[in-house]
Amino acid sequence: MDRHKYWRRLVLAVVAGVGVAVWVFPVLWALATSFKTERDVLAYPPVWLFEPTLANYREVLVGSSSIVPNLWSSLVVATLTTVLTMLIALPAAYALGRLRYPAKRASGFYVLGTQMLPPMGLIIPYYLVLQKMGALDTYAGLTVIYLTFALPFAIWLMVSYFEDVPFEMEEAALLDRAGRLRTLWYVILPQVRGGIAVTTIFVFLNAWNEFMFAVVLGGNRVRTVTVAMFNFISVEQTQWAKVAAGAMLAMLPVILIGFFAQRHIVKGLTVGAVKGGGRR
Amino acid sequence: MSKGSVRLEGIVKRHGATTVLHGVDLAIEPGEFFVLLGPSGSGKTTTLRILAGLEAVSEGRVLMDGVDVTLEEPGERDVAMVFQSYALYPHMTVAQNIGFPLKMIGTAAAEIRQAVADAAAKVDIGHLLARTPGQLSGGQQQRVALARAIVRQPRLFLLDEPLSNLDAKLRVETRLELHALQRSLGATAVYVTHDQEEAMTLADRIAVFMDGRIAQVGTPREVFAQPRTVDVAGFIGTPPMNLLPARWEAATLTIGTDRLAVAARTEAPRDVTVGVRPGDVRIGATGLAARVERIEDLGDTAITSFTAGNRLIKQKADRAPDVREGESVRLSFAAEAAHLFDRATGARL
Repeated sequence: MDRHKYWRRLVLAVVAGVGVAVWVFPVLWALATSFKTERDVLAYPPVWLFEPTLANYREVLVGSSSIVPNLWSSLVVATLTTVLTMLIALPAAYALGRLRYPAKRASGFYVLGTQMLPPMGLIIPYYLVLQKMGALDTYAGLTVIYLTFALPFAIWLMVSYFEDVPFEMEEAALLDRAGRLRTLWYVILPQVRGGIAVTTIFVFLNAWNEFMFAVVLGGNRVRTVTVAMFNFISVEQTQWAKVAAGAMLAMLPVILIGFFAQRHIVKGLTVGAVKGGGRR
Repeated sequence: MSKGSVRLEGIVKRHGATTVLHGVDLAIEPGEFFVLLGPSGSGKTTTLRILAGLEAVSEGRVLMDGVDVTLEEPGERDVAMVFQSYALYPHMTVAQNIGFPLKMIGTAAAEIRQAVADAAAKVDIGHLLARTPGQLSGGQQQRVALARAIVRQPRLFLLDEPLSNLDAKLRVETRLELHALQRSLGATAVYVTHDQEEAMTLADRIAVFMDGRIAQVGTPREVFAQPRTVDVAGFIGTPPMNLLPARWEAATLTIGTDRLAVAARTEAPRDVTVGVRPGDVRIGATGLAARVERIEDLGDTAITSFTAGNRLIKQKADRAPDVREGESVRLSFAAEAAHLFDRATGARL
């Protein structure tokens, strides 16, 4: 290896290392915090060596301020949102990507346009609408609101995957007597499964991590884990160690998904960079 | 043996304001290897897609084995198609690709396995069944597409420029195999190409498409020897027929200031386009004054380009003529070698 290459690699490694450190430090800090006592958390200068305790986890799991019901709420809302989104987005994106119909461009723009609205501006109208419908603090209410964001995003993401499937492949399947539905099922969906994986994950994570709408439109019955963690911060004191423990639990599914779907996510995001190379 | 006859009656196809096909009539006999030949945009592929049911007609009827299938879906027509891009299913193995049409009609798994093996053997890809299309060469993919088409023994094969993505050598080899395959299956094949060499070598009959109309239907020999219009004459042959404006009086043609004899006589003098195959052009002491531009010696043939006035004339011979580039010569042709076309309509006289 020549010198030039060596230095290049070294510099790249350092830059990458710094980047990773910046991202990882808060997570590790929170992880450490979650095993500290509240006293150790607030110690100044910070204590690096401390006696780890599981008290915080015990408290957020089975204690009086258990977040398990909240994790359940999050799971219900995120799962409902994801399933409904994909059920609607897949046919919609297929139509947008495939069929020729009048006003196709306009409807595509409309779908994207809904993404451009600042969510803050919507929260009061949404609150009023849900209130009038008696849907505040219900799974249905929160899920429907999430759908308004997740659907355009999912459709917009999936359209490009469907557009990448060659027309002739579909026609071949029609000639092979597959019919419309079986063509979609046997030929087209398998080609966009990378896109389906990526979209599903993003939609789920967005719903799982959402805070603002959950805090305003939820309540005592539907309180997602992000909101519940917020409750450890009160006027009198902030229970940082419990916040950290809750955050760790809330992150667990995110990390698991990221770990198992990493291959799909990376592949899905680079589709289109190499023509026809990404979907196999 | 009557299975596989096709009739097109007055097919018109419009895309918005543009008309792609202006009334196409065609009768294809069972077991025939029928080629739709024409330049791009002439409507040949549209015609094939109408046969497949992938395009609806604006007017006219499509009949297969005497039954009107104009409104039938692609899957209902019992036709198979090989696409230019092959359109293999990339997520399936070769065996699954070939077996897909059978799976869709609910054939039993064991039966599919047998049929796939048979079809694969016919096109020599029996050893590739476990691979996916991405692991195959272009020629192998092409064979998979063929196997998928023949596996359910349809009454009609539609082939859309199936050889155009292969390299030249493979194209010629595959052409021969394709012909043998069609003969052994005895099924009707409709084959679209813009390559007239493919058309001439494969076809029982050719339909030459020009601007959304069929200019001529005939055997390769007929189309070559008796082109019905000046467009067909200018399209068929390598290099294509030389076409020159001329004045025809009695049995004499006047091209520029030079006069040449032809076999046919006319009562009234008229303006014509005269066509002469490059192989019929002779270099001699009499005839049309021309200058040698370029000699392309291909070894077994030689193509010589001449300019006569502002016209380019090509001559084809077994060996390079004994002339030098830049030399002035005279060109002539046998009286019966001239093809005469009406100057205004382009129709053969």
